[in-house]
Amino acid sequence: MTSQPVDETVAGAALLPDGGTGLSLRGLRKQFRLGRQQVVALDGVDLDSREGQFLALLGPSGCGKSTVLRILAGLEPPTAGVALVHGEAPELARRRHHLGIAFQDSALLPWRSVAGNIRLPLQIAGINPDPRLVPDLIRLVGLEGFEKARPAQLSGGMRQRVAIARSLVVDPKVLLLDEPFGALDDMTRQRLNLELQRIWQARATTTLLVTHAINEAVLLSDVVAVMSPRPGKIVAVVPIDLPRPRTPAMMRSPEFHGYADQLSELLFGHGEAG
Amino acid sequence: MTGRRLGGALGTLGLLAAWAVLSSTVFTTADGVPTPWAVLRQVGHDGWTFYGPHIRQTGTEALIGYLFGNALALGCAMLVLLVPALERVVTQLAVASYCLPIVAVGPILSLVFTGSRPMDAMAGLSVFFTTLIGGLLGLRSADQSALDVVRAYGGGRWQQLVRVRAIAALPSTVAALKIAAPAALLGAIIGEYLGRVDAGLGVAMTISEQQLEVARTWGIALVAGALAGVAYALIGLAGRIALPWSRVTTVDGTW
Repeated sequence: MTSQPVDETVAGAALLPDGGTGLSLRGLRKQFRLGRQQVVALDGVDLDSREGQFLALLGPSGCGKSTVLRILAGLEPPTAGVALVHGEAPELARRRHHLGIAFQDSALLPWRSVAGNIRLPLQIAGINPDPRLVPDLIRLVGLEGFEKARPAQLSGGMRQRVAIARSLVVDPKVLLLDEPFGALDDMTRQRLNLELQRIWQARATTTLLVTHAINEAVLLSDVVAVMSPRPGKIVAVVPIDLPRPRTPAMMRSPEFHGYADQLSELLFGHGEAG
Repeated sequence: MTGRRLGGALGTLGLLAAWAVLSSTVFTTADGVPTPWAVLRQVGHDGWTFYGPHIRQTGTEALIGYLFGNALALGCAMLVLLVPALERVVTQLAVASYCLPIVAVGPILSLVFTGSRPMDAMAGLSVFFTTLIGGLLGLRSADQSALDVVRAYGGGRWQQLVRVRAIAALPSTVAALKIAAPAALLGAIIGEYLGRVDAGLGVAMTISEQQLEVARTWGIALVAGALAGVAYALIGLAGRIALPWSRVTTVDGTW
């Protein structure tokens, strides 16, 4: 890999109106080997977000959106192309503890308490934090009184709250969320989405949310990037110009429906047109 | 749990009943099958003065073998995890150790070592394979997304091993260590059959068999079995106390 694309990205970022670059993907390609076959998961994905922006990556299951997130998290290398988080290579950002991450599966350690699970990234980073940090985060995600509970004693929604608190504990520059509430019932999901918005607004962390739920993407995001599958590509980038904080009432507004229809058209458009 | 325990107790009782019936109808002591109470009476009669030195000897051998064999096996499992290239070599060695007939290894060990060392080695050899496999399975049973979380927060192989894999490995390791306890005892006793020591349950059994002490021979077997059972139960109990989360996660693992 040459350093040429990196320079272009940095130059491109300087042209953006406010803030530095948040996430930046240039010509991202990912191939997997499946037996003897080469499967192209991502084919030339270009995407940018600004520092502090909430970006949603919206697409059907299997379109490669989780692969994008895994590349940005430094969990997988791209086959070709460049990914940068705040101007850093993901591998570097990962090792410098600049990333926060949460998956659909809460991935809590069953032998650790709520507080112990939230503390995990600090221990990996070797950081000795303010002793009030973890209790504050537990309060932030509404789990006071459950500090000592083990994951098995919590509901699915509560476990995801723990995962969100854990993702914030190192005060990350970038938050990577892979359908963190995807396995929860609709009611819990909407409540947690509103709480996520509140938490995000207070910190203004650059965020990538991977989701297949249109309403969730519109409700939370500054920008929604729509992906198409096989091979995964960005087909449209839609800025969501709704005031913050977004409310459940707003979800009934014509503007909200306008965005939802537009995204739905981009996702499934051809079927309806035919 | 209570149902399983009840089933186990019923099984043991059934076995004892079958023994009692067969030994007083089809077989006689002259055929080599004494009644359960004859055996128990003999064990009571022999008492601690007879069993004490033998149990101490065999127990020490089994314990030394258990500690060294398991430490080596778990060390190998961790090594394989940190250096995956070594997996073939290590598992091949382990399979070889398992496939070698223990009756063939015994005499060789008796030639190489002196005193009770061959029995220690036999006990160690008996536990190595099962603990290595149990340890490897355990180290691999770690949740992939938990490993990803550790990586995303800047951890490498070592952090994944210490923070996730080693702990996730404990339930299956404890299961392997449980099986290893009777195996170590068995290894030590077989070692005594083949080796050259003055005391030990294996030695005592050989002698009482040669002296046609039928009830005593059965009694020694019973005591050895009980010892193995107690060791198995104790390791299991220690595991349950040390890993209160492990049963919950297996029941609730799909969440």
